[in-house]
Amino acid sequence: MTARLSILVIEDDKSICSFITTTLSGNGYRVRAAFTGREGLSLAASLCPDVILLDLGLPDVDGCEVLQKIRLWSHVPIIIISARNEEQEKVKALDMGADDYITKPFGIAELMARIRTSLRHNSGSSPATTYRALDLEINFQKRLVLLQGKQIHLTQIEYQLLTLLAKNSGRVLTYNFIMNNIWGPYIDGNNQILRVNMANIRRKIEQNPAQPQYVFTEVGIGYRMRENDAVTAL
Amino acid sequence: MLKKLQTLRKRNEHLYSVLFSVVCMAITIAAAAIYGGTAGRDPSNVTLLFIFSLIIISCNTIGYFYGLLCSLLAVLWLGLTQDVSPGSLFITFLGMAAVTIFISALISHSTTQSELIAEREKQLAEAGLEKTRANLLRAISHDLRTPLSGILGNCLIFLENQSLLSEQEKRQIVTNIQESSDWLINMVENLLSITRIREDRPIINTTDEIVEEVIGEALQKMEKRHPGCTIHVTIPDDFILLPMDVVLIEQVILNLLENALRHSGSKEPVDMVVEDEPDYVSFTIRDYGIGIPENMLNSLFEGTYYSAVHAPDAQKGMGIGLVICKTIISAHQGTILGRNHEHGAEFIFTLPKKK
Repeated sequence: MTARLSILVIEDDKSICSFITTTLSGNGYRVRAAFTGREGLSLAASLCPDVILLDLGLPDVDGCEVLQKIRLWSHVPIIIISARNEEQEKVKALDMGADDYITKPFGIAELMARIRTSLRHNSGSSPATTYRALDLEINFQKRLVLLQGKQIHLTQIEYQLLTLLAKNSGRVLTYNFIMNNIWGPYIDGNNQILRVNMANIRRKIEQNPAQPQYVFTEVGIGYRMRENDAVTAL
Repeated sequence: MLKKLQTLRKRNEHLYSVLFSVVCMAITIAAAAIYGGTAGRDPSNVTLLFIFSLIIISCNTIGYFYGLLCSLLAVLWLGLTQDVSPGSLFITFLGMAAVTIFISALISHSTTQSELIAEREKQLAEAGLEKTRANLLRAISHDLRTPLSGILGNCLIFLENQSLLSEQEKRQIVTNIQESSDWLINMVENLLSITRIREDRPIINTTDEIVEEVIGEALQKMEKRHPGCTIHVTIPDDFILLPMDVVLIEQVILNLLENALRHSGSKEPVDMVVEDEPDYVSFTIRDYGIGIPENMLNSLFEGTYYSAVHAPDAQKGMGIGLVICKTIISAHQGTILGRNHEHGAEFIFTLPKKK
């Protein structure tokens, strides 16, 4: 790493903010904190950070508004910090262009993993040609899915779903996002078809569908696939 | 038409009674007139017809008034059309009046009875709700106060004796604070989930969820809270769709699993078994530990016990968690029970399938 990556934290709670900033600077990032939405917006414009952590419940402006304003001019990864019991808010923020979310209370490891994932997906490096994690391997060019070296047969839709998740491994993808990508924008809002397909995929690649190793469910929000080991971590 | 009549009956009983009496009397008079036209008629049969009609009227009108009025009308009609002596007419009237009064008294008695019963049931239900709420509040205050005093105490020790404490002691103090905070966060999540159930809306917002996804996520959270814990899950091969409020059910699963880890006093893996029955799906969480103490078995879900015997456990009481489980499952119209099996304790809850 030549230059230290910079992170902007927009969070009004002082103690959580200091916890995050201490953790991040301890891990080699340059951190700036903003306590209000307006301050956060101006800092985002002047600093051009590499990642923004954004709390949805800000005192002055709605977190989603901040998100929208930043998205008008920047593709910087934005990670939402949110409390539990706010699935709707999270989904809304994710569909509005947030990259990921993390739920309070969270641990240091989880926060670091989220930041690394979003940095990697935004680094603009050429997309991976293979996905590898534990016993699962996907070769995107040959369209091959191997589990413990044996080929797994997937239907067309199942393969598309799995590769979409694998190419975005480590990130949460909302039901809406997946539906739009696989079935196009004109499919109706019912995500039953997606979930049935996911259940079938689970039966093909997971040992126990209730204890998945590769594709994790974020109930009410979407799916997240295990990190790709084939990509060298940042 | 019938439905309209029913709503009218509820809204304006007197109007309904008037209408009912008029219609009934009209039909009877018409029938009597037709019968009166036939050969070999017998006045006593006409009287019988009227008595029958009066019985129906008294059954369906409120108070004595309408029945008596109709009796009077019937006698008047009889007097005008049949050739009977005023004396026997008076006796007929007395007979009819007696019948209507008797029936009306019977009816009004039974309605007051059933109203009383309904009232009493309502009171009982309210008292039950009140009791649950009181127990919950008591359990909450108890469960919150203990870890909070722990945190406060540890902070005070740290701040006042900083220079005297060894590194290891400091570490211990902070670890204590962390454990208590973890516990508090858990508790608050439980309380938050309760707020999703509102009293004015006994049935919660459910969506169709795939059972394995819900369990999968609950286990992920479990792994995050207790790294390295092992839970064996057995689930049917077919995927099961079940209507539920997923956040709440996850909370139930987490509470039960956490209890199994904390209170079983054993390191044996916990079993979780899902069974697909025709009308419901059952979830069993089974540990292989010391089991539930006998004296707690009957009041597991009431949050009333804080037994002195189990003092060490009282701090991390199972109190609130189970009360909340019960509330959540009841709101889903399901059942929950806790019992001992040969080698430990098991909790079973069921959720009904969509009809």
